[in-house]
Amino acid sequence: MLNVADPPQQIANPAARFDALFQRFYAELYGLAYRLLGSRTEAEDTLQETFLKLSHAAGLMERPDPEVGAWLRRVCLNLGTNRLRDERRARERLERAGRLDFASSAGDAAGPSTLLLRAEERAAVRQVLLLLPERQRDCLLLRHSGYAYAEIAATLGIAIGSVGVLLARAERSFRDRYQEDVPS
Amino acid sequence: MSSLATSCPDAGRWRAWLDEEPAGPTEELARHLAACPSCERLVHELRHNADVAAMALGGLATTRLPSAADVAAAREQLAAPRHLSPIAPVASFSKEEAPVSTRIVSTRTSTRTMFHRWRLAAGGVAAALALTALAVNPEGQALASRFLGQFRSEQFTVVEVSPQSQQAIQRTLQTLSNFGTVETPRRLNAQNEQNRPAVSLAEASKQVGFQVTEPDAKSLPASVDKTPKIQVMPGAQMRFKFEAAKARAYLQSQGQPNVDLPAKYDGATLVVGIPTAALLQYQAPGTSSREALVIGEAGEVTVGVEGGATLEELRDFMLGLPGLPKETVDQIKSIKDWSNTLPIPVPTDQVKWEKTDINGHPGLLLNDNSGVGSAAIFQAGGHLYGFAGSLKADALLNVARNTDLK
Repeated sequence: MLNVADPPQQIANPAARFDALFQRFYAELYGLAYRLLGSRTEAEDTLQETFLKLSHAAGLMERPDPEVGAWLRRVCLNLGTNRLRDERRARERLERAGRLDFASSAGDAAGPSTLLLRAEERAAVRQVLLLLPERQRDCLLLRHSGYAYAEIAATLGIAIGSVGVLLARAERSFRDRYQEDVPS
Repeated sequence: MSSLATSCPDAGRWRAWLDEEPAGPTEELARHLAACPSCERLVHELRHNADVAAMALGGLATTRLPSAADVAAAREQLAAPRHLSPIAPVASFSKEEAPVSTRIVSTRTSTRTMFHRWRLAAGGVAAALALTALAVNPEGQALASRFLGQFRSEQFTVVEVSPQSQQAIQRTLQTLSNFGTVETPRRLNAQNEQNRPAVSLAEASKQVGFQVTEPDAKSLPASVDKTPKIQVMPGAQMRFKFEAAKARAYLQSQGQPNVDLPAKYDGATLVVGIPTAALLQYQAPGTSSREALVIGEAGEVTVGVEGGATLEELRDFMLGLPGLPKETVDQIKSIKDWSNTLPIPVPTDQVKWEKTDINGHPGLLLNDNSGVGSAAIFQAGGHLYGFAGSLKADALLNVARNTDLK
């Protein structure tokens, strides 16, 4: 249960507090960033930026962990979405130049054609995500990354009772776009 | 709250009901659903939409979450927050520097992550494999031990971990700080571990406390240099101190106020000792990048308890943490000789394993699924040994079997 009413606590050792937050949230945020970006390097870079922002956010680290976690998820999603949009623009430029590289980010043992197909499917899912309204996209990613409604509500700054409504709309929008843009 | 007998719940309420999230009386919802064809159609559509999203987004998930070593490496790469002040935001780099350092970071992170992957299968770092979820950083000075060593690693057993379990375990163990205080070793300086000074074999032996040995040079494949770079990774301790008041407050916030917390657990401290390890690193000829072969030699992992609880009691408590996958807990509980058996978690989506024998010493052979890397871990004469590299298993085992173990 998130408690957003706790008063700020003066931190005796800010560096230790930052380290503790980094240790606690890095891995879960990595999972979230990877879903959005599909690349370990991109996910790692996004997290570096996210935690750098935390280091600049005076006062935030004095808040309880659940609040800081919600803030980190919010920032990570924003930064990741920006990267994804930048990547899409870069891909479009390469496509126009006829130099698109379908290198897969997965490292499995499948053949090149299977890897290409899987890479295309994942890229298509991410492009559909980019077409959704921001809140719907974030709600979808958070829920399907395993976050509880309370955590989603805190991250998006909405009432917990609104999460179900937003999620239902998001999944409907996703399904419509996905089935339209990615024929089975 | 309106009665479900007279009005249908909206889509949001039904969607929350599908997720078993708090959304009002669920029995009443179930009864309404059974009697309302309109809601039945709505719930069917909601379920279908959720399934489509789950299937599509499920394919985006990573199969490998960062290990504790990866997290430590990422933290080290983050240059800024060494001089944080609560008064004013202070960074050790300018805004102009940040984007450039981020690009450099991504390259160094990849190399470092690769380096860590091979380290994780070597010597006393084999202990770090088993304890990565407890965020142990093997660097730092060895601290004086004040506990009764109730556990000493004398043999290994594999605990198979699926991708889903890896995520669940990681998330559950990250809540450990809600039950008490976790202390992990900190770096004593900002020196990059790849720039840690090389030492001689004699110096390494002195630091680890036993004679470090090299394999017969003739057994080394042509793909590696014959002369290793030798470094010593100092031992360290991880401590977890159980605090009943903190645990009670957290369990209450999770809707579990009635969990029994015996008084003797309060203040009990689990102490994990990671031994000092010597690492012999062989590079591919003509390159200064990735190590082709790493051999690690270390003492035993030790675990003990300070305070009123026994090791078995704290072990059972940690295995009872909510969120830990049942299959993982069952595997660990089934270890018969648990007080001297080190569980090695093996991600089954990435690594195959089999039992092996190195000159009469039982051990484990691990192969990554790409077929170009392997690792062997075993224990001999009270020491942990690990061999890992971009070698086929036969070549790796040949090197191990031609190492004179004490």
